[in-house]
Amino acid sequence: MSLSKEVIQALAEITGKDGMRVDPVDMSVYAYDATTRWRGMPEAVVFPTQVDQISAIMALANAHIIPVTVRGAGTSLSGGPVPTAGGIVMCMTRMNRILNIDTDNFTVTAEVGVVLNDLNMALAKHNLFFPPDPQSFLAATLGGCLSEGAGGPYAVKYGLFKHYILGMTVVLASGDILKLGGNTMKNVTGYDLPQLLCGAEGTLAVIADATFRLLVAPQAKQTVMAIFDDVTQAGKAVHRVRSAGVLPAKIEMIDNWVIRRIEEHTPLGLPLSAAAILLFQMDGMAPAVEKETDQVIELCRKTGAAEVRPAKDATEAQNFWTARSFGFSAVFGSAPTLISEDVVVPTSRIADLIQCIKALERTHDLTIVLLGHAGDGNLHPCILTDMDDADHYERAQMASNAIFDAALAFGGAISGEHGIGLEKQQILKKAMPAQGIDLLKQIKRAFDPKGILNPGKIWEAS
Amino acid sequence: MTASLLTDAPGRCMKCGFCMSNCPVYGIDPIESHVARGRNMLILQKQAGTLPPGKAYVQSLSHCLLCGRCRAVCPAKVSSPEITVAARAAVVRQQGVSWSQALVFRGILKHRHLMAHLAGIAARLPGLGSKQGTPLRHMADMTAVVSAGIAIPRLSRPFLADRLKSIRKPPDPSATRGRVVFFAGCGFEFFFSGMGQAMVEILTRSGFEVVYPQSQGCCGIAAYNAGDVKTARKMASANLSAFTDCDAIVTGCATCGTALKHYGHWLPQGNGLRAAAESLAGKVWDFSHFVHHHGFPGQPRRKRPLKVTYHDPCHLRWHQGIIEPPRRLLAGLQDIDYVEMDGADACCGLAGSFAITHQETSRAIQAKKMAAIARTKADVVVTSCPGCIVQLMDGAQRHHVPVKVMHIGQMLNKFEAGANHGE
Ligand SMILES: Cc1cc2nc3c(=O)[nH]c(=O)nc-3n(C[C@H](O)[C@H](O)[C@H](O)COP(=O)(O)OP(=O)(O)OC[C@H]3O[C@@H](n4cnc5c(N)ncnc54)[C@H](O)[C@@H]3O)c2cc1C
Ligand code: SF4
Ligand code: SF4
Repeated sequence: MSLSKEVIQALAEITGKDGMRVDPVDMSVYAYDATTRWRGMPEAVVFPTQVDQISAIMALANAHIIPVTVRGAGTSLSGGPVPTAGGIVMCMTRMNRILNIDTDNFTVTAEVGVVLNDLNMALAKHNLFFPPDPQSFLAATLGGCLSEGAGGPYAVKYGLFKHYILGMTVVLASGDILKLGGNTMKNVTGYDLPQLLCGAEGTLAVIADATFRLLVAPQAKQTVMAIFDDVTQAGKAVHRVRSAGVLPAKIEMIDNWVIRRIEEHTPLGLPLSAAAILLFQMDGMAPAVEKETDQVIELCRKTGAAEVRPAKDATEAQNFWTARSFGFSAVFGSAPTLISEDVVVPTSRIADLIQCIKALERTHDLTIVLLGHAGDGNLHPCILTDMDDADHYERAQMASNAIFDAALAFGGAISGEHGIGLEKQQILKKAMPAQGIDLLKQIKRAFDPKGILNPGKIWEAS
Repeated sequence: MTASLLTDAPGRCMKCGFCMSNCPVYGIDPIESHVARGRNMLILQKQAGTLPPGKAYVQSLSHCLLCGRCRAVCPAKVSSPEITVAARAAVVRQQGVSWSQALVFRGILKHRHLMAHLAGIAARLPGLGSKQGTPLRHMADMTAVVSAGIAIPRLSRPFLADRLKSIRKPPDPSATRGRVVFFAGCGFEFFFSGMGQAMVEILTRSGFEVVYPQSQGCCGIAAYNAGDVKTARKMASANLSAFTDCDAIVTGCATCGTALKHYGHWLPQGNGLRAAAESLAGKVWDFSHFVHHHGFPGQPRRKRPLKVTYHDPCHLRWHQGIIEPPRRLLAGLQDIDYVEMDGADACCGLAGSFAITHQETSRAIQAKKMAAIARTKADVVVTSCPGCIVQLMDGAQRHHVPVKVMHIGQMLNKFEAGANHGE
């Protein structure tokens, strides 16, 4: 399908000449997200700056049945913002104003194109704290994070984006502008529509702005690094800490492969023989932090940690966390194709999941890097492969499927935070009963009867 | 070299988008083709032959300050500015210099009276006359900036070469600490020759014999960055031949310093001067780094404390990693109230001809910088690059910020002289 002259002209009238692009070269930079394997060229990219413009664009697209794929920063790891159906990409990055920081009621209202890091910097000036911390915070937008159901290391104690949303302004496929939810801590007004839009991957409506609740920044923090000779043991330690009733703010894991990359790049003196490292952060009131820190150290030792190092000071803590975030990037740069999983299991089954992945690595002769937000049972096993090497890629896909099966068998889920998008459509059928998928489709039709919003995502086209 | 810079290097980009957080151009208008990630993807596709035709490719290549901030935050350590330069060079190889030249010279040609000046200067640039059609890049950038309505002092006569003898001995020749070549660059040669002179005076008073090779020329970085590698190589070779035996080569221009340190990369394998260029790199010092390292003999004698802030030139901070020496030098001066501005490391927005070719973006970046300077209420903003000086002087006027713009050498020299300054 290609956009008619009239449509292009109408779009330009809505956004202004500067608010729209159609040059094929410009289209190429909106054809991808952060995955290695998904591509799709749009025919026009629009950059709205006002909710009225979003509304007019949607009304136009709806009238002409043109696909619209909403895009934030394009850091999705599931193919979500890749416009496989062509049509229009609606890029939200110019909607980047923080509208109101309410320091009395601890809420913030911001347009969806605001980058998470910019929001955090603005809040820090008021000693306010917005915990959800997907590790793409330097780039990811609020709209993208809401739509992918994002969260990060802080999820263990503080939860995900969806646990902070109070209200939002949305534009429906028809172009109608709606306010959903509000700005109060409690709100039971019929179905919880803002929650429905969390994780909807841009298939239901365009979110224009959002109101979140905030916390006050914790008074004290302590980081602890625990080094293990056996990955499974590290998994056991996570559960042991959690089941003892200790609630660290974060528990992250990196494995031997990552440790070696860290030591190659920015040596921290980590033992190269270590099989895995767990990083804990305790936060809150100072005496509680102290007590929890002691408990974590003790529990890790009891679970067979070879060494436990509390960070000496803020700088050392920072180094530990930098190493953790380096882990993800090290994985990304290291293979032509990366299958990055996002499985999540109850913490009691993490050790089992790890054992299973290690076995798959051996039987399929692959490198599967293990890292993730172990504290909430969410691991990102990363299979290093190459799509152009048919045999290798096939083995990688077999392992990938086996990991999904294992996660489901352990009572877990196929995606903790990256979404289904294009990446996990086949597996969705295993993870959800047919009636469930049918309900998804009915909800989709209720919001978007003509199916123009991000078509082809989440479930396989039938 | 170029092939791997155009394929392997951008191929390491993992599309994480972190560069978006640090890119001044993306910060003004968050459009994917304006930031390292998008540009790397375009370059990869261009190389693979899968990029659809469209003028947006060259526009994207030009939409970069080459400031190097993206590299600093990139987890995969992708050297995006170098990739961009290599891609520009590939375009020049295919389409000739004209497209990039046209951009730079458009401004100059509109203002014919400046051509006379330019012609006068051209004679001083080794082997390069404007008549031959080869651009006087760095110089041209500077002059074009004047003609594009950016408020800087006009050509300052006498030029530095006429102010200096070829060799200057320290006041006490028996205590000579070493022999340095002073590399002026176009900025201090033609526009801010007073500042150039101030630096040479400090070096001699610090006990160094200063050699000023009269045949030195433009560093060539503007030509290089525009993809005109041929011209850049000529300029590099001319300079390499001009440098005599010395312990160090000192420059007060952050941009020239970056160029001199990288001459080895510019010259092709097998070029006779490449080895010389590589061994030279280790001898090149930024003025502030050199003076800080060797000690500064200044005796501050100011009465009224002066509030001073410092702006990091991208070519010093992001390309050479020099962050602390200028600050320490300033903090070491008595009677100075040093204030760090918000985002001292943020680009001023000039970036050579970028200020002309992308005036709106450049001005928006400048506006942020001037607002940060204004908030410090500083009397003086000090920096170490003539390009930044131009942009800051212009910004002070445009935004009515009552701040004096000084090169660090000028600042140190004033203090040392201890005269009554009427600012
Ligand atoms: C290095 C790296 C680390 C990461 N770490 C984490 C992590 O720790 N935790 C985690 O949860 N995720 C992580 N992610 C993936 C995460 O999903 C994205 O970073 C983020 O949520 C997407 O934000 P974005 O602005 O880039 O959205 P995009 O990728 O542009 O879009 C994501 C989806 O949201 C939709 N969308 C975007 N904006 C809107 C809107 N305004 N209205 C409706 N729909 C919209 C799009 O259509 C698309 O389906 C990581 C990604 C990378 C590259
Ligand atoms: S930060 Fe580096 S790896 Fe990430 S998108 Fe930018 S250039 Fe690519
Ligand atoms: S060099 Fe500077 S302007 Fe160019 S992409 Fe990198 S950060 Fe942006």
